[in-house]
Amino acid sequence: MPPAVKISVRDLDLWYGSVQALRKVGADIASRSITALIGPSGCGKSTFLRTLNRMNDLIEGVRVEGVVEYEGSSIFAPGADVIELRKRIGMVFQKPNPFPMSVYDNVAYGPRIHGSPSRRAADRRALDEIVERSLEQAALLEEVKDRLHKPALGLSGGQQQRLCIARVLAVEPDVLLMDEPTSALDPISTSKIENLLEELKKRYTIVIVTHNMQQAGRVSDAVGFFLHGELVEYAPTKEVFFNPKDKRTEAYISGRFG
Amino acid sequence: MPDRTHMDREREKLDRDLLDMGTRVEEQIEKARRAMRELDAELAREVKEGDRAVDALQIALGDRVAVVIATQAPVAQDVRELIAALKMADNLERAGDHAVHLAKAVKKFAEEPPFRQVERLDRMAAAGSAMVRGAVDAYLARDPQAARRVAAMDDAIDGEHKALVEEVLTLMRERPEQAERAAKLLSTSGFLERLGDHVTNACEAVVFMVEGRHVDLNE
Repeated sequence: MPPAVKISVRDLDLWYGSVQALRKVGADIASRSITALIGPSGCGKSTFLRTLNRMNDLIEGVRVEGVVEYEGSSIFAPGADVIELRKRIGMVFQKPNPFPMSVYDNVAYGPRIHGSPSRRAADRRALDEIVERSLEQAALLEEVKDRLHKPALGLSGGQQQRLCIARVLAVEPDVLLMDEPTSALDPISTSKIENLLEELKKRYTIVIVTHNMQQAGRVSDAVGFFLHGELVEYAPTKEVFFNPKDKRTEAYISGRFG
Repeated sequence: MPDRTHMDREREKLDRDLLDMGTRVEEQIEKARRAMRELDAELAREVKEGDRAVDALQIALGDRVAVVIATQAPVAQDVRELIAALKMADNLERAGDHAVHLAKAVKKFAEEPPFRQVERLDRMAAAGSAMVRGAVDAYLARDPQAARRVAAMDDAIDGEHKALVEEVLTLMRERPEQAERAAKLLSTSGFLERLGDHVTNACEAVVFMVEGRHVDLNE
């Protein structure tokens, strides 16, 4: 049985003003899998990622055409709830960006402002549970359980990034978008995040932009290779890395350009 | 593709190593043939000793490939080339062993009376030697069609082997006192038949390297 499609993209075009950044991109992203987006700088992979939860709406002059469906419904449909969409499809950024507050408050921030997952979140105990569960899922709890009320900015870079993942998990998303989440981290922290991704994909659908070919090879189930705004190749990871169909993919992953 | 990568330089070294190894194996087979034709025990001994150099090349090539994999994290055709190089080297090494088997049989065949089947062995070894050269050329040219043509040459070796087995069985029945020496014909022919199979495997590695799929050329 083929895996269920979580996000379906068809004929997606995107312009920043007069500059076209995505050209007729089409891809079905499988549920509970890790999809890695690769390609040289400026190829459109991050733009594509940000389109999936309409983060590009925040940029002046962006125009989008085509279809992006999340669980079968168009995310661009009139009346689509963007706040709800971004809650369901969370984003983790390249540079860890914890808020200047305690570890606990960072994770509790989302549930507090969303008033979610239920009214019980107002209840202190329920919030404690969400924070603990989220830190646990982000493989950070053990390291911070004695300093939950200390400033988050006192954590190491790798811990901060896992805190940011915990912060996203706290609002109970369904899809995690990650834009080069380990590019600012050392190898140990990178390895922790990669192991974490393996765990997280049991519950979540993950789309990750990475410049690290070995990382894409290690963690992902499918790979999309972008070049000049086009999705040149999109296939299971083992096919892309062992026997890519497109010569441009072969050249890029073999380090022959980009 | 503008830049020559580290991998490109490694590829050139591996190509040279394989060419070196293939040339030596070919020489070993040719030397064993000559030892057989001329019943030259000294030459046969040289073949036996020459096998060590072939083995050393195979081990060195394997080590080189391991280091490239560990340090370069190769992908796509790069990684297939490395796997193919290992398979080529393994099969060339085995082909070299069979040259030694041919050389080792020289002593038996030097005794009276001579066997005319030795000519079949010589034709088999000649085909095997040509296959070795062809397989290495196909590897160096990254040419799967050439590899397929080389593998097809194995039919001639198999044909000689079958004919030889028939003849030797008859010979054993008619001249039972020669059965022990005749058995050497059978085993040597069997080794040369295997030599062809090993080069065929090497040809399969070339197809795999270029096309990314496993084929059976031994049909």
